[in-house]
Amino acid sequence: MSQWIDACATDDIDEEDLISWQHEGKSYAIYNTEKGFFASDLMCTHEEQSLEDGLVIDCVIECPLHGGRFDICTGKALSAPVHQDLKTYPVKVEGGRVFVEIG
Amino acid sequence: MPDYVPTNAASSGVKLDKKTLKSIAARSDRPGLIYIAQWIAFLAATGTLVWASLGSIWMWPAMLLHGIFLTVPAYSFSHETAHGTAFRTRWLNETVLWVTSLLYMEEPLHRRYTHTNHHTHTWWVGKDSQMPFDTPMGFGGWLAEITGFALLRFHMQVFVHLAVGHYTDTMKMVTPEGEFAKMTRNARIMLAIYALIAAAPFLGIWWPVWLIVIPRVLGAPVMLLFTLIQHVELQENSPSILESTRSFRSNWLAEFLYMKMNNHVEHHLYPQVPFHALPKLAEAVQEQLPEPDPGFFKTNLEVMSVVLRRSLGRQTKAATIRQAPHMITDGGPVERVAQRTM
Repeated sequence: MSQWIDACATDDIDEEDLISWQHEGKSYAIYNTEKGFFASDLMCTHEEQSLEDGLVIDCVIECPLHGGRFDICTGKALSAPVHQDLKTYPVKVEGGRVFVEIG
Repeated sequence: MPDYVPTNAASSGVKLDKKTLKSIAARSDRPGLIYIAQWIAFLAATGTLVWASLGSIWMWPAMLLHGIFLTVPAYSFSHETAHGTAFRTRWLNETVLWVTSLLYMEEPLHRRYTHTNHHTHTWWVGKDSQMPFDTPMGFGGWLAEITGFALLRFHMQVFVHLAVGHYTDTMKMVTPEGEFAKMTRNARIMLAIYALIAAAPFLGIWWPVWLIVIPRVLGAPVMLLFTLIQHVELQENSPSILESTRSFRSNWLAEFLYMKMNNHVEHHLYPQVPFHALPKLAEAVQEQLPEPDPGFFKTNLEVMSVVLRRSLGRQTKAATIRQAPHMITDGGPVERVAQRTM
């Protein structure tokens, strides 16, 4: 059963940046991009490196360890060394809060 | 987490708050485009000198000068684009990686993935695929390194392996699956271009010889003097970049040619920081880092003196550059620590 979880305030995340968010023992990345807010798993699919210190460039997150890149909107792996897509989660913004749908 | 500790700021005990790092690491196209414009202007000027001096004795110093401006920035730009940090726009980055790797003479994806491995396992024997010389270095190793022929032979072997679809154990270790087909295609195209350049004089076309081939050969030792001092005489198998890597002071010309990679400790701590922001990064972490070594010439003279003395069995303490403790001896036989991997 999926549910919308209140994750953070919109101004907790700088523009073109991300924060890590923990919920029920799992880590997520929440992004503030030019296209809006998005959420994904926090760990890179390549070497289980946290993406928290990665760079957000437009709608792309670049892993800080090996530079693998994912499309933030879709989770699609864009360039080697990453090949496996990043799991993403639906996000909505209401009253200045960011909600993530956890299924 | 990975089953290894990557060599970077965290493994070196260096800290920088996330906000500052992200502001320093921000990507932009502008500095890279300005660099290209400046590089082309320098090449046009030095190329004109070569052309104007053809047939006289002055063509040789002109080709050396042109070769320095051709070869060192080609290395530097190929390195920066291998990291993906030269430009914000990805296709621009990848295009410049291809062209500058053609000039540097290494297949671009081989360059990228062996270098990624070099950052993950900096100066770790048996893990770092970019250890270009045996350590501790002797005078013979120094000569082999700085003439450029050892590196050229290695890169040509890589080209041939890739072109025929034979992938070595090192390539398999460092390269992501799915990249080999692209590498083979790149190697075949680049070898075809080199073959065309080699064939040009037989067709009566000599300008590539004067403006590319001979300058590239003459410029290689200067490029290799820059790369030599990145890690030479420093500690193998250390998790700390501060022990394995050297920064050195520089003037504007060396900073231009080397794209500010004289801040090499800083680059290894935070490889996601673009070249133009390295001085800012150096300033932000300077309290946590050792003093940079002296300038390009002084550091290289010190290294040459140390390796010569080591080969002559004399004491090897350098006066002004940093050395790992085991590099400093009173003379006598030297036990090899690392064998070259390229």
